[in-house]
Amino acid sequence: MNILVILRMIPDSAGELQLAEDGRSIDREWLDFQLNDFDDHALEEAILLKEAGGAKVTAVAVGEGANRVLQMAAARGADEVVALQSEEDAMISSREIAASIAAMARAKSADLVLCGVQSSEDVFGQLAPYVGALLDWPHVSGTNRIVANGAVLRVTQERGAGVAVTYELATPAVLGVQTASKAPRYVSGSKLREASKTPIGRAMPESSGFERSAEIITLRLPVQGGSGENLGGNAETVADRLVTILAAKGLARN
Amino acid sequence: MKFIACTEGHSSKIEAFSLEMIAAARSLAQAGDEVVAFFVGRDAEGASASFGAADRLIVARATRSDVIPAETYALLLRDVITAESPGLVLVPYSANGLDVAADIATRTGWPLVSYVNEIKRRGESLTVVAQMYGGKILAECEVPLPAVLMINPGAFAEAMPGPIAAVSVQTIDAEPALTGGKVKMVAIDVPDYADVDLTTAERIVCVGRGIGDEASIDLARNLATMLGAEIAGSRPVVDNGWLPKLRQVGKSGQKVKPKLYLALGVSGAPEHLEGMSQADLIIAVNTDPKAPIFNVAHYGATCDLFDLVANLSDRLRAGSGR
Ligand SMILES: Cc1cc2nc3c(=O)[nH]c(=O)nc-3n(C[C@H](O)[C@H](O)[C@H](O)COP(=O)(O)OP(=O)(O)OC[C@H]3O[C@@H](n4cnc5c(N)ncnc54)[C@H](O)[C@@H]3O)c2cc1C
Repeated sequence: MNILVILRMIPDSAGELQLAEDGRSIDREWLDFQLNDFDDHALEEAILLKEAGGAKVTAVAVGEGANRVLQMAAARGADEVVALQSEEDAMISSREIAASIAAMARAKSADLVLCGVQSSEDVFGQLAPYVGALLDWPHVSGTNRIVANGAVLRVTQERGAGVAVTYELATPAVLGVQTASKAPRYVSGSKLREASKTPIGRAMPESSGFERSAEIITLRLPVQGGSGENLGGNAETVADRLVTILAAKGLARN
Repeated sequence: MKFIACTEGHSSKIEAFSLEMIAAARSLAQAGDEVVAFFVGRDAEGASASFGAADRLIVARATRSDVIPAETYALLLRDVITAESPGLVLVPYSANGLDVAADIATRTGWPLVSYVNEIKRRGESLTVVAQMYGGKILAECEVPLPAVLMINPGAFAEAMPGPIAAVSVQTIDAEPALTGGKVKMVAIDVPDYADVDLTTAERIVCVGRGIGDEASIDLARNLATMLGAEIAGSRPVVDNGWLPKLRQVGKSGQKVKPKLYLALGVSGAPEHLEGMSQADLIIAVNTDPKAPIFNVAHYGATCDLFDLVANLSDRLRAGSGR
């Protein structure tokens, strides 16, 4: 089985996000970029499938720091790594890159395309259904377990309230991974160093093919706070206040 | 202009967000416009009994399966779009909607905006407000019509449930599409709530990724015990195996409404807020003052969660004489 797994580098949302001067993008100058968490799970699922039944895993990374994350992917077990060129200092729109991913899936004779169910920059839509529809392959998003039995996949999808639904489908397919069957593994420094010699292929982007798309006019920060009260940052005074608040509401004790 | 409001229901329960999609369409409809609700599933009766706020209802009736693969839903929706030529298709941000929205946008070539909270009509286009970066940034977008929007649950107040006139209901058979589909449902696992049911818990202490590691969960668990609360976690905490799945709060976890919700190191992503923003009292502790959890918290603190847990535990222990 040939697996193509997509790794998107996105700004660290835990850090501070500031708006750029044009008001339509975020200031990328000082941002840390990291692998989209869900894509990390997709990579893990790809490697687990390879370990379980044999597969060739091609990792495709896009965005700032792609080379670094591709070395990590190689260290974790990816057989081939490719950096997809993207516009510098721009957000990674899954709608924009879907055609390039679909083209690579064809070029690499992929049986399975895996990516994270979502990224924080996919405001114009999610990668798995775009790529699936472009290729006219079945797609399922929000998976937390994928088992391959030859060309037949058993895929478990998370629904609300802890309900899980299992589907069966044949490859070729596109899956949007929510959670890998096992938590993503760590790689040792020595493995990383070894993998740093893995040659990184390059791919040029294709045009998205969409004639009409929505456009961002402005970005803004949400109005902070609402009606909530800020208790500040001193743990002792916060604890004192919370004891009072909880006691007043009859919530302090069993 | 026609609006198609995509609705869902599973196991003879109509999803509340279905009525929100109809309400969103209604809020945009002008004289001469039509709001068409689209439903796929077994509970055609439930749909007819609930979607009276729509002008028309198209039901693709399934007879066998409770869960409709998104592939089938999208296929049936495509036929409806071809027949109706709507100006706007509203899809809920649900497990199903995640696969349907971009699929439809690709097949029609239409624009798509996801995670939408607000919509305004401006002639032949819309301006919408959508969430990005885990709710930390709002994007105002211009959307030429026709288009597809994926709407956040909770963004629009539900339309009044009520029956729709039988003459306004058109029923089609979903079975051929289900039988011919490439994606087959083979099992549904419903969790056993015997161990813990967060939906009925009165007090919840929820830990997020900020807790750092599995060992530290015990600190929060001790605090929860002192408060008579259940321990819960955000998705990453459960994904890491630090807490069982039944203790996950949010979109793919439980929707809770306790009297007390203490969130420790939870950023407050939209998918988490969906599960807990209705709690009576929300107290959030997060070192990042810009964390979106503070937008729903009644009390927020920006101290380190470990310092807070230690200090609060001390005081509760002293107060109870233990
Ligand atoms: C389809 C779908 C369904 C989903 N369903 C769910 C769901 O059911 N439930 C859910 O929770 N998520 C769900 N998610 C995931 C969601 O998008 C977020 O990724 C997740 O909620 C983030 O969890 P978190 O807040 O714990 O982690 P993070 O976003 O990483 O936040 C950790 C926070 O801890 C703070 N912090 C770190 N250290 C400390 C410290 N020492 N003291 C105080 N604060 C600290 C940081 O400032 C940060 O804000 C879903 C996503 C998708 C796509």
